[in-house]
This record gives sequence, structure tokens and C-alpha cells, in this order.
Amino acid sequence: MREYAFFLGCIAPNRYPGCESAAIRTSRKLGIELLPLEGASCCPAPGAFGSIDLKIWYAMAARNLVLAEKMKKDIALLCNGCYKSIWDVNHKLKHNDELRDGVNEVLKEIDMEFKGTIDVWHLIELYYDPKIVGVDKVRDSVVHPLTRTRIGVHYGCHLVKPKKEHHFGDSENPMWIEELVGALGAEPIQYRKKMQCCGAGGGVRGYDIAHSLDITNEKMINLHEAKADAVTEVCPFCQLQFDRGQIEIKEKFGKYWGLPVLHYSELLGLAQGMSPAELGLDLHAVDCTPFLKKIL
Amino acid sequence: MVDTTMEKNPRIGVFICHCGTNIAGSVDVKGLVEYAKTLPNVAFATDYQYVCSTPGQKIITDAISEHKLTGTVVAACSPRLHEPTFRTATKEGGLNPFRFEMANIREQNSWVHMHDREAATEKAKDAVRMAVAKASLLQDLEVKTVPVEKAALIVGAGVAGMQAALDLGNAGIKTYLVEKNPTIGGRMSQLDKTFPTLDCSQCILTPKMVDVYRNPNIELMTYSEVEAVEGYIGNFDVTIRKKARGVISMEEAEAKGIKGGGCNGCGDCEPVCPVIKPNPFEMGMKPRKAIYIYHPQVVPLLYTVDFDSCIKCGLCVEACGEKKAIDLEMMDEFVKLKIGTVIIATGYELFPVEKKTEWGYKQFDNVVTSLEFERLICASGPTGGNVIRPSDGQKPKKIGFVLCAGSRDNTGVGKPYCSRFCCMYSLKHAHQIIEKIPGATPYLFYMDIRSFGKMYEEFYYRIQDEGAKFIRGRVSNILEDPATKNLHVYTEDTLLGRPVDVELDMVVLAAAVQPMEGADTVRKLFGVSCSQDGWMLEAHPKLNPCGTTTAGVYLAGVCQGPKDIPDAVAQAEGAASVASIPLHRGFVELEPYFAQCIEEKCAGCGMCVNLCPYQALSLVEKEGRRLMQVTEAKCKGCGTCGGFCPGGAIWMQHFATPQIVAQIDAFLLGGEQ
Amino acid sequence: MAKAKGYSDPKMEEKLRDRYYYRTDSNPEFSKRIRDISQTVSHMCYQCGTCTGSCPSAPRSSYRIRLFMRRNVMGLEDEALTDPDLWLCTTCYSCTDRCPRDIAPTDVIMAMRNLAAERDIIPVNFLKTVQAIYTTGHGVPNNDVNRAARQRLGLEREPPTVHKYKQYLPGIQKILDHYGLKARADKIVAEAEKHA
Repeated sequence: MREYAFFLGCIAPNRYPGCESAAIRTSRKLGIELLPLEGASCCPAPGAFGSIDLKIWYAMAARNLVLAEKMKKDIALLCNGCYKSIWDVNHKLKHNDELRDGVNEVLKEIDMEFKGTIDVWHLIELYYDPKIVGVDKVRDSVVHPLTRTRIGVHYGCHLVKPKKEHHFGDSENPMWIEELVGALGAEPIQYRKKMQCCGAGGGVRGYDIAHSLDITNEKMINLHEAKADAVTEVCPFCQLQFDRGQIEIKEKFGKYWGLPVLHYSELLGLAQGMSPAELGLDLHAVDCTPFLKKIL
Repeated sequence: MVDTTMEKNPRIGVFICHCGTNIAGSVDVKGLVEYAKTLPNVAFATDYQYVCSTPGQKIITDAISEHKLTGTVVAACSPRLHEPTFRTATKEGGLNPFRFEMANIREQNSWVHMHDREAATEKAKDAVRMAVAKASLLQDLEVKTVPVEKAALIVGAGVAGMQAALDLGNAGIKTYLVEKNPTIGGRMSQLDKTFPTLDCSQCILTPKMVDVYRNPNIELMTYSEVEAVEGYIGNFDVTIRKKARGVISMEEAEAKGIKGGGCNGCGDCEPVCPVIKPNPFEMGMKPRKAIYIYHPQVVPLLYTVDFDSCIKCGLCVEACGEKKAIDLEMMDEFVKLKIGTVIIATGYELFPVEKKTEWGYKQFDNVVTSLEFERLICASGPTGGNVIRPSDGQKPKKIGFVLCAGSRDNTGVGKPYCSRFCCMYSLKHAHQIIEKIPGATPYLFYMDIRSFGKMYEEFYYRIQDEGAKFIRGRVSNILEDPATKNLHVYTEDTLLGRPVDVELDMVVLAAAVQPMEGADTVRKLFGVSCSQDGWMLEAHPKLNPCGTTTAGVYLAGVCQGPKDIPDAVAQAEGAASVASIPLHRGFVELEPYFAQCIEEKCAGCGMCVNLCPYQALSLVEKEGRRLMQVTEAKCKGCGTCGGFCPGGAIWMQHFATPQIVAQIDAFLLGGEQ
Repeated sequence: MAKAKGYSDPKMEEKLRDRYYYRTDSNPEFSKRIRDISQTVSHMCYQCGTCTGSCPSAPRSSYRIRLFMRRNVMGLEDEALTDPDLWLCTTCYSCTDRCPRDIAPTDVIMAMRNLAAERDIIPVNFLKTVQAIYTTGHGVPNNDVNRAARQRLGLEREPPTVHKYKQYLPGIQKILDHYGLKARADKIVAEAEKHA
């Protein structure tokens, strides 16, 4: 069993708790034990918070990193927004003495010090990395293959961009999450502008909801055109934007897509035999039943 | 026999140059003169606006006799610029030219310390003091001349290499033209038309290819590569690897006594060959056999066996019959050549533009490179000149041209430089599709149109007038419509300030260029440096663009940096001209910076012999003793042996230990005795 | 250089306002600060448009990342910081991935937003996130519906974050107070709500 400090973020535990329980239970079957990171806060939101003052963003994220440093565990997380904050700040503070000194100045007030002793991973990276889990092991854990389903993958931005700072190469047309979806027995499909943003980031969802939803709507049009049964992502914020966003799109623009949105942990949970109720799929704004009917 | 005696009563003249304000602007020249006068052995010191000017040189010449100088020091620019000038002036004053020493107070001082006059002046004093210390101990040296082999070697037979070969051959010089491919012609023979004149590339090139072939002074060595290089200007010993091509020419057959045999290019062998491979000349878009020619106009017209894919079934040998031209057991051969001067013309290849994944090359069928497009639009190309979409063979109506595809790119993926000819050939491509496909529209996505050559801007005007659409924006990314295989090109029309999504049938990437694969090996064999962009480094970017830092080795064409055909040909003619100078002169002068053996001290241990990177040293028997001996023509004066010799028995002329120690002392002791 | 023309009709004054670019419009310090905060070679932009062409916000708004890059190079501080489009970047980093000059335009936008925030130009939604983090430790805090759902899934009602371990909250607040962020957020939000 590899142990990681599980950084929850906000939206998974507080809006889609099924992601949290799915992540813990499915990872365990893949040899990963996710330990609670006691006292963690918001990462804090890279767009909404970082826009105001990056210095404070560094300090707040560093506090979360120090909690894991004290546990002597690498961080694993399941949200691209958290990944941007926690991975980026860890990387920047490790490589920029001036930044680190500034942050430690502040952390001293709460008896903390950033030392730069741990690494940060997105769960999906751990699943894909053959040295940790690997696609084969994921495939082996499947008891209930998601056959006959067409699934569009939304990578989200901060997992793969900017590319040089991250672990898996190309950000123009990556295919590795597709491999992980294929390992569950589903058919990963390609659709137009796969790498386009969900529309929520940078504080835009709160700042101009119509603008934000229009970006989401374009994703929906493209997924619909490709005859997707569901879209999967690895970011609860993208999930929120796609899932609740479809309701908002209906309210604002009068168009309802009804496309089920599932975090990869939820898909993995289904494939490993967890029930929809155990995964809290009933908490999703868009009804997942049509998708579930295909696999059950 | 080495002479280690030095001047007993040196009298040094110091000449400080203002170089306008280049030096005087940040160094106190007058103060420097006064300082120089206080230095030991200085008999005379003065300053002048431009010491390199005729009156400036006269000051040196006059001072030598007037003040009975034994050596001169000029504090000015880099010796790379004016050392010859001041040596001549010193000689005209009646001294041995090697009694001159230069202090660089411009490049290494005033230019870098422009804003610190005080420190710059102090540094200049150090430089002058050190130069005086060395000049006091300089000896008379004689320039060495060595005879020159009247033969030239040209590496690479593209348009630049061919032009240089023709010029040298026509000047009566024996010229070896080595080409790694089975035919000469290079990149230019792959092009359909040339800008801005729209001449058919092959039509203007093939006569040159024939001329090269027919020229009695040019010895063509195709399918051959440089294997090893030894020696120096005038006397290079070059080994050429003649790769086994599996086919002998008619001349070779005759030499072997096969009457009327050898390859006559009949092509009987080709249809029977069962192996199919992509033809690199057609950018892989047309098949060739394991026994092949690139195209019908190859020179020499001689088939080649690709032994990497040949299965040695022998069908071709059978088809060839009595001509006995094919030898499937042929091995590589090595030929040794004696060469006076060398021209490198190794050319370029396209940057692997698939590395810029956002443009989808090798992901989307209808994204092609500019060289692939040249073949597609060429009447002798794989489609007979019908431009078609690779995905479905349909005629494209809307074609995008992505300029700066990998050029002007600082990401570390592409190339930081401008590839220089892509703007113009893309304009040409635009013209060609307008001409060949009725109703077709070219869209050129550009940042700047760099139409700098003669009649180039006029060509740009013409193509715009013909209806090409210019969108000023670098392409962000390209996506393929999976159903139609059409391409969506995204950018911003920066002049409108609007994002753009143009649906096109086909996209041509004007990919950046990079040095030819293998050019680096050639470069290192001849000891040529490369600039930070990876191209070969010329001796001086403005005043010696064909030369290199290796004497006797010159550059022509794109190997030195991106160039269009006119520029490549012009440089080739320049390189041929400079390369012919030592050949016509018949001898070269070598700077006498040789190592010399101080025989009284030499123990004959021979340890220096193996250290020498130039094989210039050997051990000889002399009067019953073993002594080291220097082959002066091979010695580059690098000092490796001199620094190592445990007995201090090696005297580096002009850089002798006492001279260098004097300089170091002068620096460290700050002028104290 | 007279910029105000002294027309009596303010509408006419605005319509015929001088639109020349003057050297005095430029604040070189602005570009320097952007470079410091963004830690990217923001001054090296050559205006190719790759950024705008990559931008998901550009086709549905007047937001042009290239224009902001230009304003940075030219030191047009006021124009950049007061443009409401500044807040339409979703920080997707597509421009950053593709910029041929290896600039991170996204980080330039973030730096501009930081400088706008110094002038108290911050959309209220950004500040509400700050307030939520100050009070609960989370930008999106737990609620009763979710607590019930968590329980149903076999999870603790409060996640094992600062929600459950409330003793960590003062530390978080201390960091935010160190920068006086909460007080500023309260002030700006209150003012905005007064106007609304």
C-alpha cells in the first residue's frame, strides 16, 4: 500500500461527496491508501483567489503543503484547480528562494515553515503511471465493465497546461485518460475542441455566468455531436460547471442537453462494482439514469 | 635549432588608439599615455585618433627609427581586426613584424565598461603594462611557407556545392565533389518553381548538373561521405567513404574488363525488384524499389542498391544480364585524397514540425509540409503535378499556408531564427495554386512578410493582386473535422483584432529549417565551429562570410545559415573564389607559432608525442640521442606539449615561457619591479 | 499636447477626444511590476496573435489577450487595469502553452489583476470567495444538504479538513489578516452592495 495525504479541496467534499468516497475506496483497490489531511483548507482557488494577490495565494497553499510535510507524505488530490494551486506553489517555492523566504516569513506567525520535502500528484497521474498503478492494474480491478458506453474525456486545463510544468507531455491532444477510460471497458470518444476549457476557471463563472456557460455550451454541442453517453473529467469544478451548468444553460438559454457528467473516480467506482447510490450519483444535477441504464 | 635569446636592452614604443570615441569615450587615453611612459623599457609613447589609418601607421614606422625601438605595442581593438596592419607598419619601420604586441582595450574593455571610465582606464593600464612586458622579450620570427596541393574538395552537391565546383573546375582546379546521396542536385532539384521569377527549378538546375558531370576538372563522388580528415591548409589528407551502391558505372566496368558493361540507366533491374520502400526524394509520397534512382534526371544516371532493404534475391542481377552492372556483394571503399582547400556545402533539412503538436502534422492527413507541397505541385512529382488532398485525393479549393511554422520560436521546441525563405516560397505556393486550381484561394497566415530581395516585394504585390488572402496572425492551432477531414485553422486576425476560425481543405506548414542531418559530423571533422543557432560559424559575419576559423576551410549555402537560392549561389561563388586563392598562389604562409625543442634540455622521454592533438611531434635519433622533433607545418602552436614537458624543453615561439611569465608578473605585480 | 479641448458639451468633448498615444501615457514601472509579479518575459511580446487565437473567451467577447500584452509593453496601466475584460480570462493556459516567445500571457493577466486589486478594482465574486475562506476555511463550504448526503455515503458529516478540525481556522485567518485581505474584502463588498 502506498500512502498519500489526501487533499480534498472544497467542491468534492462539499458538493460531490461521492467523488471523495469513490476516490478513497477505488484507490485502495489499486494499492493506494488516501489518508486524511487534517486541517486542510481551500487550496485556495487559483483563479478567484490568485487574481487578488498571488503572494497570499502562495502563503495559503503553502500552509496546506506544510500540513502534508508534517505527515511526511506526498499529496494526492482529485481536482485540477487544487492541482494548479498545490502543485504550482510547491514547485515555485522549491525553486525560488525569494518567494519561499517571503512565504516562510508569514508562516512563521503560525509556527509553520515550508521546507519543500514532498511532491504533489493528481490521482489520475498515479493511476496512469505504470510505476505506481498503471492502466493494466486499473483494468484488472474492473468487475463491472462499462461496455457499450461512449465517453468523452475532458482533461481540464490545469492538469495538463502549461505543459512544461507537468508530468505527462503533450497538452494539444493527450490520449492517456482515454486509455484509463478504455481500461474500464467503455469506449473513449473524440470530439471537437476536446481541450477547450470548461468555462468556469479564473473566476469567470462568478464574474460573468452567461459568458462562462457559453463556453460550457460549446463543449456540450461538441460532445452531443460526437454522440457521447457521458462526459468524464478529473476536476470537481469542471464537474460542477458541466453538471449544474447544464441546468443553468437551460434556464438562461433554453437548451437542455441532459448529458451525464462523472468524475473519473465515479466511473472507476461503477466499474469496480460500487452502486450508484454509494457514489451519490443522485446528487448530480443532471440525471445519470440514462447512462446507468446502459451499463446495468 | 631554437634560439632562446632575447633583447638585452629593449626599447618599446607604445601607441594608444582613440578609435574615435570607441575607446576615448570610456578610457582616459591621455592619462594612459602618461602612464605608459613610466613603464620599464618604454622609450616612446603617444596616442592618435585612428592608429590604423595611414598617418597612424606612419607614426609607428617613424618612431621605430627615430627612437631606435626594439618592439612596438599598439593598444587598440582586437588583434583579429588589425594585428596584420600593425605588423606591417612595424616591418616597414625596419623591425621584424613579430616584434609587435597588441593590447585589446576596445572589445575587452571600453565596449564592456562603457559606463565606468575610471575602472576602464585602470584595466587599460594593466593591458598596456602586460603588453609592454611581453613586447620587451619578443624575438624575430620568420613566416613559414608550405606548398599547396592544387586540388579542392567540396562536401555537398546541392546548388551551392555544384556552383562552387563549377567555378573551381572552370578556373582549372582539380575539384572533388562529394555527395552523400546517389545523385547531385540537392534540395533545389526537389522544388517545382523558384521565386520570384517562377523559373522551373529543374529546368534551370539540370543544365548545371550536366555541366558538373561533364567538367573534366570535377571528379564526382556521389553516394560518398567524408570519413576522416588530417592535415592543414594546402595539405589536407581526406579519406572518403564510397558507400557500396551495388552498381558499377560503365567506366568502372570497362576498367574491370567487362566490355560494354556497367550501368547505363536502362532501368531493367527496377521492375523485377520485389522490395518497395518510400522514395525520400518524393518526401516518402512515392514508392521506390530496393534498387532505385531518385528521379529520371539524376546525375550520374546510375542505379543504387539500398542494402538496408535489399533481400539479395538476385532478380535484378538476372535482369541486368550481360552488362554485369550489379554486384550485391559490394563493400564500402575508402579513397584517400590530397586536398588544398575545402568548401563545406551540406545544406539543410526541415525541422520536424510534428514536434509543434498544435498544428497536427502527422496527425491530420491534410496538413503537409512545404517540401511535400513542392512535390505535390511538381509535374514530375508523385501526383503528376495535380495538387490533391492526401485524405481523399480531392482537389483542395481553400489552402492555408502557415508561415513561421517553427521559426522565430523561443519555446525550445522550434527554432529562434527566421528561416528566411519561407515567406517567399509561400507566396510562390499561393501563386501556383491560383494558377493551377481554378477558383482556389490561398490563405497566408503570417506575422511579417519578409520580402527583402531583388524583385521580392514586387512579387508580394503581384500575389496579393492575384487574390491571395493574407491574415496577419500566427496560427494558434489546427483541428481536423473528423467527418470531412477539413481543417479548422485558429488564429487572431491581429489587424482586425478578431479571433479567426477558417475552415480549409488543406494546410501547408512552412516549416523551419535546420542543419542537414550529419552536417555536424562533417563540421567537426574539419574543425569548424557552430554558432549558437546550430549553423556553421563563418570567420566574420560581415567581412569574412565564407571563411571559417580553420584555415583553408570555407562555407557555401545554407549550412552557414538559411539562404534562398540566389544567396546560396552567391556565397558559393564567393567561397570558390577565396578557396582558389591559396591554390593559385601555390603556397601558404603559416604563422611561426611552432613548438621547438630545446635540445640541451630534451630527455627524449617522448611523452609529448602522444599528447599532441595534431600528430606534429615525433622522436628522432640525433647524435646518438633520442630527441623530440616538430613538424612545423602540422604544429598549431596550441601549447599542449609546452605546458606538459617535465624538463621545460619545449619552447613555444611567440608564446615562450619567459614572455608569458613576464606578462603575468606585470599584471600581478602591478608594475612593481 | 492639449488633451481636453474645452468644448462646453461633455458628450461632444468625449466624441472628439484626442486619441493620440503620447509618451506620457506610458508608465514604464507598470511593465516592470507586471514582469516581477508574473515572473515571465512579458516585455518580449511580438504581437503574433497566437494567444487570442487560442483563447476560449475571445470568440464570445471583446476580451483580447494580445491587447493586454500590448498594453503591458506600452505601459498603458490605466487602460489595462480599468478594462472589465481583464476579468474574462478563464486561466486555461492555452495561450501560455502556445506562445512562441515563451511568455505566459495567463500570468501577465494574473499580475494585472493583482495590480487592479491594489486599486480595489476586484469583482465582488472574487472577494466573496475570500470571505468564505476566512469564515470557514473553504471557498465552497459545506451545507446541511451536503452533510446529510455525506452521512448517507458513510462519510463523516464534516470532511476531515478545517471543517472538522476547527482549531486550524485561526491560522488561516492569521495569514489573511497578515495581508489585511479580509478587512479590504469586507469594505469593497459592502460598498458594492450599497451601490447595487
